[in-house]
Amino acid sequence: MPASRFTQTGNYRVRYTQDQTIFATYAEQLSLLLLIAALFALPLILPRAWFPYLTQIVIFSVAVIGLNVTTGYTGLINIGQGAFMGVGAYATALAATRLNLPFYLAIPLGGVAGALIGTLVGLPSLRLKYLYLAIATLAFQIIFEWGVGHAPLLEQGGVIKPPTPQAFGVKDSFLNHNVFWYLVSLPVLISLALLWRNVLRTRHGRAMIAVRDNDRAAAAMGIHPGRAKLTAFLIGSFYAGVAGGLFMYFQKGAVIEDYSLGLSVKLLAMAIVGGLGSLPGSFLGPLFIVGLDRGVELLSQSALLGRVTAFAEGVDVASALRPFSFGMAIVLFLMFEPRGLANWWRLTRLYFKRWPFKF
Amino acid sequence: MPQLHVENVTLTFGGLNALTDVSLTVPEGEIVSIIGPNGAGKTSLLNCVSGFYHPTRGQIRFGEHDLTHAAPNVITGYGVARAFQNLELFRGLSVTENLLLARHTHLRYGLLSSLLYYGRASRQEAQNRAYVEGIIDFMELEEHRAHPVGTLAYGIQKRVEVARALTLAPRLLLLDEPMAGMNVEEKEDMVRFILDIKREHGVTVVLIEHDLGVVMDISDRVYVLDFGQLIAAGTPAQVSADPRVIAAYTGAQELSA
Repeated sequence: MPASRFTQTGNYRVRYTQDQTIFATYAEQLSLLLLIAALFALPLILPRAWFPYLTQIVIFSVAVIGLNVTTGYTGLINIGQGAFMGVGAYATALAATRLNLPFYLAIPLGGVAGALIGTLVGLPSLRLKYLYLAIATLAFQIIFEWGVGHAPLLEQGGVIKPPTPQAFGVKDSFLNHNVFWYLVSLPVLISLALLWRNVLRTRHGRAMIAVRDNDRAAAAMGIHPGRAKLTAFLIGSFYAGVAGGLFMYFQKGAVIEDYSLGLSVKLLAMAIVGGLGSLPGSFLGPLFIVGLDRGVELLSQSALLGRVTAFAEGVDVASALRPFSFGMAIVLFLMFEPRGLANWWRLTRLYFKRWPFKF
Repeated sequence: MPQLHVENVTLTFGGLNALTDVSLTVPEGEIVSIIGPNGAGKTSLLNCVSGFYHPTRGQIRFGEHDLTHAAPNVITGYGVARAFQNLELFRGLSVTENLLLARHTHLRYGLLSSLLYYGRASRQEAQNRAYVEGIIDFMELEEHRAHPVGTLAYGIQKRVEVARALTLAPRLLLLDEPMAGMNVEEKEDMVRFILDIKREHGVTVVLIEHDLGVVMDISDRVYVLDFGQLIAAGTPAQVSADPRVIAAYTGAQELSA
C-alpha cells in the first residue's frame, strides 16, 4: 500500500476517512510543503524591491479567499469586500494606537471587527438575492467611505499611523519593512486557507454550496438558507478584516483612499480572474492582477513605449494604461475562460498526473 | 394512528383557489397516492405540506408537529422529506455530495470544529459517509457515485432525487411524480424501490403519480383531486369504480352533474 500512496495509480482507499483527506497522495502533500518552504525562503533569493508586490499578493489573497466564501461558494455578490477590509484596517489601527496592542493581537481584533460588521451587512441577504444584494453591499461601501470621512475618531479619513511593530526582537525597521510583512502575512494566509479548506469538507461548507446552487432544494434538505448565508458573511468578512489589518500595517497607516470602491472592484476582479469558487484561484487571481499592474508600470517606464506613442516626455502613461489593462483582463477572462486561472491550474495538474499518457 | 393530517386546507392565489377545503389523512406505514388531472392541485398540496406554500385556511399536522406555517427546513427537521417533480438536484455536485448534503441536520458539530476538522467533525463525517454509502447501495447508484449529477441520464437523476430524500432518514416521504417520463423498465425499478423503502425503512410514502396502473397496484389508499377539490377517497378498487373519478379523467360532464 505505501507505494500507491506516493503516486496515484488507482483508487486503493479502503476507509472513508482516507477518502476525506485533502491530499490524495504523499506526492501532493510533499509538493505543497516544498512550495510553502520555497515561499518562506523567497526573501533569501529575491531582491528587496520585489517584496512590496509579493506582500500585496499575499494580503489580497487573504481577502480574495474571503470574497470567494461569500461570492464564489455561497453565490452572494459582494461589492463591499474593500469596505470590510477597511473596517478591519481601522479597527486594527485603533487597537494599536488607543489600546497599545501589539500587531499580533491587533490584527485578529481587526478580523473580529470585520466579521461583526460583515454579518450585520449580510442581514439583507436573508431577503435579497442576486443584483439586489449586490446593491446592498455596494451601499455599505458608500456608507463606510462617507462615515469614516466624517468621524473625528478616525481622523476624518486621514492617516492613522500605528506604532512601529516589533516581533521576537526583530524590529520592523525601514529597510526590511516589506520583507517583514511578507513573512507575517504568509503564515496567516496559509493557515486561513487551510481552515477554509476544512470547512469545505464539512456540513457548513456543503450548506453554502447548496444555497448557491439551489436554495429551494437546500431548504428541503433541512438547511436554514439564512443561517448558511450569514455564516458565509461571517467567515468572508473575518478574512477581509484580517487582510485589512495586515494591509494597514503594510501601508504604514490607515487611510480611507486605500479602502475605496476601487479596492472592492479590484478584489472582485481578482476573484473572477482566479476563478470564482476555487481555492487555488484565490491565490492566482491576486498574483495575476498585481503582476499585471507591475507589468504595465514597467512597460510605461521603458523607453520603448515612449518611442512608439506620441506622448510627450513626463506623461504618466501607467495611470492611463492600468485601468485599461485591468478592464481588458476581466473582459477577456469572462469571454474566454469564465472559470478563471484555476481551470488552467487544474488542467496543468491533470497533465502532469497522467504524463506520459495523453488521457 | 394517522401520521399526517390535512384539515380543511384552502390555498388561494389572488382570486384563484388552488385548493378548496381539502382534508386527508395518511396513516403510518402506508403508501398513499394522490391522483388527478393536470392542474388539479396535487403539487400545490405537497408544497403546503413541505412548507413552500402556506395554506390560506386550514391546518396541517404531522404527528405532534404543526406544519401549517413552518418553514421548509424546519419541516424537514420533523422527518418529512420531499422529492421534487422537476429535479431540484445540485447539478454540479456528484451523487455522493448530493446525498451528503441531505445529512446536514443529522450532523451535530459547530463551525469551530468544522474549521479545524478535528474531533467531532472528522468522526461524524466518516460515519456520515458510511450512511450515505448505504443509501447508494440501496438505490443501486454505485456506478454513478462520483459523477456530477448534471451529466447523468434523466431516469438516474430521478433516482438520485428519491435517494437524496431517503438520505434525510424521513418518517414521511413525499414523492412528486417520481416516474414521470420514464420507460417501463425504469418504472418497474422505481416501483421496486418505493416498495422497499416502505418495507425496509418503514417510511410512510405519499405518492403523486399519473400512471394509474402503478398507483392502483402499490397504493394502500388513493385520494383524487380535481380543480383543487377532493372528489374521491378510498382503496384503489373503490376509487377506480367511482363515477366522479371516471368523469374527471374522461371529461364526461353529464356524469359529474
